[in-house]
Amino acid sequence: MSGTLLGRIGAATLILFVVAAVFAPVLAPYDPTLRTAQPFAAPSFAHLLGANDVGQDILSELIFASRLSLTVGIVTACLATVLGATVGVVSGYLRGPVDGVLMRGVDVILSLPFLPLMIVLAAFLGQNTTNLILVIGLLIWARPARLIRSQVLSVRESGHVQAARAMGATHGYVMIRHILPRITPLVAAQFVRTANVSIMLEASLAFLGLSDPFQKSWGAILFYANARSAFLADAWLWWVLPPGLCIAAVVVSFAFLGYALEERVDSRLRSILPASEPQKDNEAPTPVGGGTLR
Amino acid sequence: MAQYALVLLVALSLNFAIPRLAPGTPIDYLVPSEQVATITPEQRERVLAQFGLEKPLLEQYWLYLAGIVQGDLGYSTQQGRPVVDMLLERLPWTLVLVGGAIALSLVIGAGAGFLSAARRGGQTEVGGLVFFMFLDSMPPFWIGMLLLVLFSGYLQILPVFGALPLTGAGGGFGLTFEVAQRLLLPLLTLTLVRAGWLFLVARSSLAGELSEDYIVMAEAKGLSRRRVVGHGVRNALLPLVTAVAVEAGTVVGGATVVETVFSYPGLGRLIYESVLSRDYPVLQGAFLLLAVGVIAANLLADLLYPVIDPRVRAEGAR
Repeated sequence: MSGTLLGRIGAATLILFVVAAVFAPVLAPYDPTLRTAQPFAAPSFAHLLGANDVGQDILSELIFASRLSLTVGIVTACLATVLGATVGVVSGYLRGPVDGVLMRGVDVILSLPFLPLMIVLAAFLGQNTTNLILVIGLLIWARPARLIRSQVLSVRESGHVQAARAMGATHGYVMIRHILPRITPLVAAQFVRTANVSIMLEASLAFLGLSDPFQKSWGAILFYANARSAFLADAWLWWVLPPGLCIAAVVVSFAFLGYALEERVDSRLRSILPASEPQKDNEAPTPVGGGTLR
Repeated sequence: MAQYALVLLVALSLNFAIPRLAPGTPIDYLVPSEQVATITPEQRERVLAQFGLEKPLLEQYWLYLAGIVQGDLGYSTQQGRPVVDMLLERLPWTLVLVGGAIALSLVIGAGAGFLSAARRGGQTEVGGLVFFMFLDSMPPFWIGMLLLVLFSGYLQILPVFGALPLTGAGGGFGLTFEVAQRLLLPLLTLTLVRAGWLFLVARSSLAGELSEDYIVMAEAKGLSRRRVVGHGVRNALLPLVTAVAVEAGTVVGGATVVETVFSYPGLGRLIYESVLSRDYPVLQGAFLLLAVGVIAANLLADLLYPVIDPRVRAEGAR
C-alpha cells in the first residue's frame, strides 16, 4: 500500500465530510437545536442515533457539528500556515539577527504546554468560535515556521535564487517569486498537518466545556455525553461512539493526506536540491502524521 | 539555559498579562463568579486595594513576581484556600500518571516502531503504520470513555471514579491495590495515545539511521542482520530522548483531558473544575505549574544528552 493510495483514501473521506457539512440542512432529518424526541431516547427509525439529554436528534447534531469542526480546523490551519510560512521564509531568507529573534520566539512558543495555555486563554477571553480559532491559530504556527525555515535555508543557496539576487532583485521580490514557489509543496503538507492538529485541539477544548455554548462541535457533543455519564448506560453506543469516530476519521484522513504529500515533497526536493542538509542528530525527527494533541 | 529562563519569564508574564488584557477588569476574575454582578463599588475598592490593583502596572508586576518566588499564587475564589496548597495536593497524582505513561509508551511505542523500521516494506510494516496512525488520530478523552465503557460498564472489573476509594479501605496493601486499580485505566489511555506518536518517531528515526554509511559498513563486514540493526538502534534512541522532552507539553495536555474523563484528582482535573466554576486564580496557578514542569523536562533532556551521546560531549569540549 503506497502513500498515494493512503492519500486518495484520506482525500475521499474528507470530501465526504465536506459535502455533509455543506448540505447539512438537507441531509439532517431534524433541526438539532429543537427538542424532537424524548430525552435519552434510544435509536429508532425516526431517530437513527437516538436523542441526547434534552431530546435533540443526535444524528442531526452530528451532521451540523461537522460544519463547526471542519471550519475551525480549516480556518485555523489557514491562519497558522500563513503565519508560519511568512515567519519561516523571512527568517530563513534574511538570516542574521532577524532569524535569531524569530527563531527564539518559535522556541519559546514550542516550549509552552499548549493545551493548558489554550484553556487559560479561552477561559479568560470568553467562549466563542472566533476566540477559539485565534487561540489555537496563534499558538500552532511555530512548528510549521521552523520546518519551512530549514527548507528555505537550502533553497536560498540554489542557482536561480543566487542569480536573481546578483541581478539586483529586491528581497521581497526574491522571496515571493523565487523562494515561495519552491516551498509550496512543503507548505501544503504543513497546512494539512496543522488542520489535523487544530481539529484535535478544538475537540479537546470543546470537550472541556470551552466552546461556544450555542454552536456544537463533535467535541462539544462529547462534553455533554461525558457530563451526563452517557458511557455508563447503553447510550454510549449512539451518543459517545459516533462523534469520536467522526473526529478520528477526519484526523486520520488529514494524516493520510499529509503522509502522501510529504512523500511527494521528499522525492521532489531530493530531485531539485543539490544535497539537502543532513539532519542534526540532536533534533527530533518529525514523523509522518503524528503528534496531534499539540 | 538562557532559553529556559526566557520561556519561564514568558509564561510568568502571560499569566500576569492575561487577566489584565481580557475583557472586563481583573476584579471580575478575583471574586467568586456568582458575585461579580452584585458587588458594590465600596467592595470593589476593597478588592482593588487588597490585591494592589490600584498601583502602577510595573509595581504590580514586581509584586506578582515577588509573590511567586515566595510561593504565593493567590487564593481560590471558590474555596478560599491558597492556590499553592490545592496544586500541591494534586501534583503527585499527575506526576504518577504522566511519568508512568511516558515510560510505558516509550517501551511499547518505541519497541514497535523499531521493529517496524527494521523490517521496512513488509506487510507488518504498512499494517503497523496505519494502525498507529489511527491510534494517534483518536481523541484521548474518547479512548478513555470507551475504555470506561468496556472495563467499568460491561466487565465491571474496574472502578469508574477518582483515585481513592470513597469508603476508607484502611492503609497498607489494601489501599495501594485500590489506588493502582483506579490508576490503571487513565494510565492505559494516556499510554495508548502516546504510543502512537512514539511509534512514528522511533520508526522514522531508525529508518533514517539504517540508510547511513556505517550500516552499509556493518553489513559489508558480514554482521548478522540483528547486530546491524542493533548498531542503528543505539543511535536512533537519541532523538527519542529529545522527542519525549519536547513532547512533555503534549503529554500534559493529554493528561488534562484524560484526568477529566476519569475524575482522576490530578492537575488536569483541577483545571477542568476551575474552568467550570470560573475559578481563575486556580486555573492560572495550574497552568504555571504545568509550564514549569514542561520547562524542567526540557532542561533535563538537555542535561542528559551529553551523558547519552558522546558526540555532543566532544562538541562541547571543543
